[in-house]
Amino acid sequence: MIGSPDVVAFTKEDDFGELFPDPCVLPEEFSVPLFTHAANPWTKTAYAKFSKDFILISEFSEQVGPQPLLTIPDDSKVCGTFDLNYFSLRIMSVDYQASFVGHPPGSSYPKLNFVEDSKVVLGDSKEGAFAYVHHLTLYDLEARGFVRPFCIAYISADERKIMQQFQKLSSEFSKASECLKSGNRKAFANELLKKLKDLEYTRSVLHKESELQKMNNGCYSTQAIEKANELANMEKSIYEHKDLLRQITSYPSRKRKDPECVAYEPEKPTDMTDVNLALSSTPSELEDKTVSGDEANDRLSYTPQLIKARSAKCFDKRLKTLEELCETTFFQHTMEQLKFIERSFRGDLCYMYTSQIDRALVRRQQITNFLFEEEEDWQEDGLTKRFEAAGPPAVNQPPSASDMLAEPMSLESYSSCVDTIQIKPEPEFVEGPPESSPSDFTQETSEEAADTETKGSFSSDRSIEPVSPGNLQMQYQDTEVVGMSSSSEECTTLADNAFLDQCEADPSSALYETPSVQTGTDRAVHTFPLLENDLDMNATDVYQTGSVQVDTACCMGQEGFIHEEPLPKPLRGGCGDMVVKQEPLSLLQRDPSLQGDYVLGEPALESPSTALSLPELNSNTLSEEMARINVEDASDTTSYMSTSTSSDRAPSPFCHGNPVTLKQKKRAGQSALRFIRQYPFAQQAIFCLLTGRTLVVLGAEEGTVRKLVNALSIFVPNLGKYGETVQPWLSTPFQLTDLQRWKLIGLQRMASPTESSILHSLIRYSRYIGILDADNKTMRCPPYKGALLGHMADHRTQIKRGSTYFLHVQSMLTQLTAKAFLFTFCHHFHLPLSSAEDEESVVTHRTSFLHHLGYTEEESKIVHFLSELIKQHYIQGPSKGTSQSVLRFNYTTSYLYKI
Amino acid sequence: MSSGCPPQSPAVAKTEVTLDGPCPVLASTFAYWDNILGPRVRHIWAPKQEAPDPSLLLSDGEVTFLANHTLNGEILRSAESGAVDVKFFVLAEKGVLIVSLIFDGELKGDKNTCALSIILPQAELGFYLPLHNVCVERLKHIIRKARICMQKGYNIISVLTSEIIPVMELLTSMKTHSVPEEVDIKDTVLNDDDIGDSCHEDFLKKAVSSHLQTCGCSIVVGSNPEKVNKMVLTLSLFLTPTERKGSRLCQADSSSCRYDSGLFVQGLLKDATGSFVLPYRQVLYAPYPTTHIDVDINTVKQMPPCHEHTYHQRHYQRAELSALWRAASKDLISADNLTLAHDHFTPDLNIFQDVTHRDTLVRSFIDEVFLLKPGLQLRTVYLSHFLLLLHRKALTLLRYIEDETQKGKKPFRSLRSLKTDLDLTVEGDLNIVMAMAEKLRAGLHSFVFGKPFYTSVQERDLLTNF
Repeated sequence: MIGSPDVVAFTKEDDFGELFPDPCVLPEEFSVPLFTHAANPWTKTAYAKFSKDFILISEFSEQVGPQPLLTIPDDSKVCGTFDLNYFSLRIMSVDYQASFVGHPPGSSYPKLNFVEDSKVVLGDSKEGAFAYVHHLTLYDLEARGFVRPFCIAYISADERKIMQQFQKLSSEFSKASECLKSGNRKAFANELLKKLKDLEYTRSVLHKESELQKMNNGCYSTQAIEKANELANMEKSIYEHKDLLRQITSYPSRKRKDPECVAYEPEKPTDMTDVNLALSSTPSELEDKTVSGDEANDRLSYTPQLIKARSAKCFDKRLKTLEELCETTFFQHTMEQLKFIERSFRGDLCYMYTSQIDRALVRRQQITNFLFEEEEDWQEDGLTKRFEAAGPPAVNQPPSASDMLAEPMSLESYSSCVDTIQIKPEPEFVEGPPESSPSDFTQETSEEAADTETKGSFSSDRSIEPVSPGNLQMQYQDTEVVGMSSSSEECTTLADNAFLDQCEADPSSALYETPSVQTGTDRAVHTFPLLENDLDMNATDVYQTGSVQVDTACCMGQEGFIHEEPLPKPLRGGCGDMVVKQEPLSLLQRDPSLQGDYVLGEPALESPSTALSLPELNSNTLSEEMARINVEDASDTTSYMSTSTSSDRAPSPFCHGNPVTLKQKKRAGQSALRFIRQYPFAQQAIFCLLTGRTLVVLGAEEGTVRKLVNALSIFVPNLGKYGETVQPWLSTPFQLTDLQRWKLIGLQRMASPTESSILHSLIRYSRYIGILDADNKTMRCPPYKGALLGHMADHRTQIKRGSTYFLHVQSMLTQLTAKAFLFTFCHHFHLPLSSAEDEESVVTHRTSFLHHLGYTEEESKIVHFLSELIKQHYIQGPSKGTSQSVLRFNYTTSYLYKI
Repeated sequence: MSSGCPPQSPAVAKTEVTLDGPCPVLASTFAYWDNILGPRVRHIWAPKQEAPDPSLLLSDGEVTFLANHTLNGEILRSAESGAVDVKFFVLAEKGVLIVSLIFDGELKGDKNTCALSIILPQAELGFYLPLHNVCVERLKHIIRKARICMQKGYNIISVLTSEIIPVMELLTSMKTHSVPEEVDIKDTVLNDDDIGDSCHEDFLKKAVSSHLQTCGCSIVVGSNPEKVNKMVLTLSLFLTPTERKGSRLCQADSSSCRYDSGLFVQGLLKDATGSFVLPYRQVLYAPYPTTHIDVDINTVKQMPPCHEHTYHQRHYQRAELSALWRAASKDLISADNLTLAHDHFTPDLNIFQDVTHRDTLVRSFIDEVFLLKPGLQLRTVYLSHFLLLLHRKALTLLRYIEDETQKGKKPFRSLRSLKTDLDLTVEGDLNIVMAMAEKLRAGLHSFVFGKPFYTSVQERDLLTNF
């Protein structure tokens, strides 16, 4: 009887199918999978038995065959269950550097063959492991043929990564290999020197013994003949070793076959004095010197030993470790390099590749990347830079004291000018205590300053008055605002050509007084006009004439516009004009390939450039370093800067004195995401920052304030290399000059007498700033209407992670930057189309242009502000840093927003 | 090249290939692991050089030595049956680089490990690397066919020759006609004084938009080589430098102007009758869908999006291999017969469709870039802004999906939120950014748009009803 299990067995369809496959159906092993990629595009390979990429060093040992030596990182978890022995066997089973080492035919001495490294990419699809394998050969006096084959492998589960990054991997591993080989050559030469001394010593001993034998038994005794043979062998061995030493020391002068190979000779492979001595000396001389203990011998401090003539070819010894084969410093340096390579190439190829593209594109935008891009000159090609020299890279070193003492400016350069509307951050450049601004960090100083200010040296109410409606119209064509009460007045203190002209012509410009801010230390001398023109009187003259001569229309409109000077100098004073008349300076100066493409020709352009005074130039070149120093100073003075005792110190957005990095910004993205979700008026806060209106975050708790500042910092244009434009925590009242320097301030609310002065400063400057009250969850600032910031800061966003949100913000800011670039360099929107057109119609062109781009009135202000910054950066040169010669105010009605 | 190689085997057959121009390839070899004799070279293909550079010549013995080297160590190979592994060697001692595809196949009744290799001078490393994927993908497919022939006991050399020679021709043509790594904007349409001066405004916008929507993969056809090349260079502006090195200008001076699968942008000239025959199979085998741009009649057509393209491609390849498997004799495996056999697998003969999705990104860029004064570097800088924006948007989109799906562990169900959050509500914009992201993360389209076999029409319906 047939039981049911048997029936099942006979009727099982799959088995039947397997037993009798249709010969016409293509077997799967000859076909292609229908879906090329796994269901999950993030899965590189399902087979990988290791968790992340690692570096493996293997050796083909003459005693045990291929064996793994070490991995980087040295963590067993990384390799998982991946069989290192098997993989070493696979990658070391072939001698890709096959070349002859040993006694070549016709040569009586062993010959070292300096073989080039070989690079192999291979994979094991079953194991899900793919590797870049760098084969190299080290020298060992006690090894067979004096060679020890090694390989360094970068192992990854992502095959695409290995091939896509092949050239970079190859380049970096070549450097590491060269470092290792240099150390090995040095160690090999030292070993040869020692060996030569041993041989010489042994030879001398044998010689004495031989002489003794001859004296005792005669020349032809068996013992004497044996001794003579032994001596001859010793002589031969000495010559062989000398030849080897000559070969190894002649390495640097040989011709390289590999065009990509990088020479790594951080120091001489060995002490050449000893080598020369060993090579040039006759055996007796060497022996004499060795025995007499000359300088070289002292340096080596090596005691020669009696050895057998053929001891170099004994294979029963323990093989040297990799570390022993190299000089220790070289070995350690190589390990450092390999660790750095591992760190650099770890992670997802997608992000690595994108960041490479990103960097390449950002580098082309030198005129605008100061706005929102973190400066990457210290990161750029870090792999390359870091190990090009033997020593540590000398980057970001603070300027020397002599640099700082080389005072670029005289106080006379800050002489007052009545018709001024610009504020300069000059106190930073004054000799002596670097900071004297009222934002300074001791409470006493600030109180003094505040007192001084109250006594009448400066009054913001008086200093900045609404300008005439005509001016306002010129600026923004905001006829609704213009002419209304002071609550809705609007003005921009830009060094605009037209605006200046108007100011000069209009008696109302007399309202622009020149109140001054006194420095804290030397007020008698260091009294600066708060609103001063950054041009001295001569410069002002030039500027005035320049406004006529530098006719932007004719500059940009004419064909064959050829400048006679090879490189235009940075311009000053022309930034007020709404058109930039020159090729971006950075393009001209930094990229030689672009230099030939842009031509300037109007001689009149020289006028503004000649107005550039030497001190200004110096300040440009030094400003970046000075800014850093100032930040460092600030961090140094933290102890008395803040009176807070709060232990809830949130991480500062940036490490003081260190450059702002992309990583920090990404971290800030998390806080930003939380901020836009929690605060419905986030768009208003961002609007403030993007239009250059300083935003003050007020709060009692330092941690909360710092977090908010951190969150908002990613929206600050021209943040500065060291985040100079952000003051994350201030416990003293700020002053007007601080608004020029800092665009985002965290301000402490204190229940003490100081509070009154802080509140006083807040009230005084409230019309120029936005105030985010972290305690009461309110925001006082001008309104924003538009869709742009809605995309950037939508509280309903489904973005889950801060770093993703940062990327989104970054792309939106990239878009804004592009529009600002376009707006800045579209000359015909800033110029009259015909001679009949006046400035008013030009402003109309600009406004309509921005409206055409889809921007609302408020959004246009953002583009305007960014454009102003671009112009300023362009005119003052890229090295100016974040210091702004123009303090811009925008008087509009502020509203109070609440949650 | 090095000397001292072992003597060559007398049985190695050699095919000399006549090429139109200096070929960077030194030789191509087919080797196998003989179970008794070890690695042996079966066939060598070498370009026939009229005035060869002696320093770049390899003797047959050297070629054999190198080819054998590619198989050394493969005795330890533990790959799944049918897998094709790629090895790449840079042997400075020999001054060569070798790309080798290792696979298993039956020869004389035994299962052997085989290697199909291409040998180039080491100096060509920079030239070759951007073309590595193109060569490897094409060789992989011919190996699939060769494995079937081996299984059937047919001669495989003719099968391999059918792709080895085109690959050599491709490398030869790229040596002389590849797009430079850096394209000067002055050589492109973007240098016109005003939009529409040398290229119709709408046509230009549509061409660039579709080009970006098809992952930067386009063919430009026309009768005037200058016009074709100007468009090729214009489209190349939107590629990375590496991708540009995988693009080709049209060859006005050459009669062998043919389509090559896998290039990013390529210019092709029409014949005297004003037509150009596009090989359907090769276009379908390209890694990305293609945009077809005709500069004579200003038309732009595009293939369906990535996931649909991949689906069709795989179906077609499977069909081709099945047909080969079923071929009763060696005579039936000629290309013509297989082509006939393919016909009933053709999913949609009209693979090039109209560009239906309008975008705002490219349109506004084209409008705006012409506002900047030409002849300066302003337009170049503005272009870099645009490209940076696209790359950043693509990266943001990738991260968004990655976060939503926990790196693909969960299905993606929030396309609508993505569009709103990332300001990609316009379909064309989404397509462009998705295409950029696909290049960074292969398979993204299939993952995002659910079942990969939805046609674009079905998908459109799906999205409409979403």
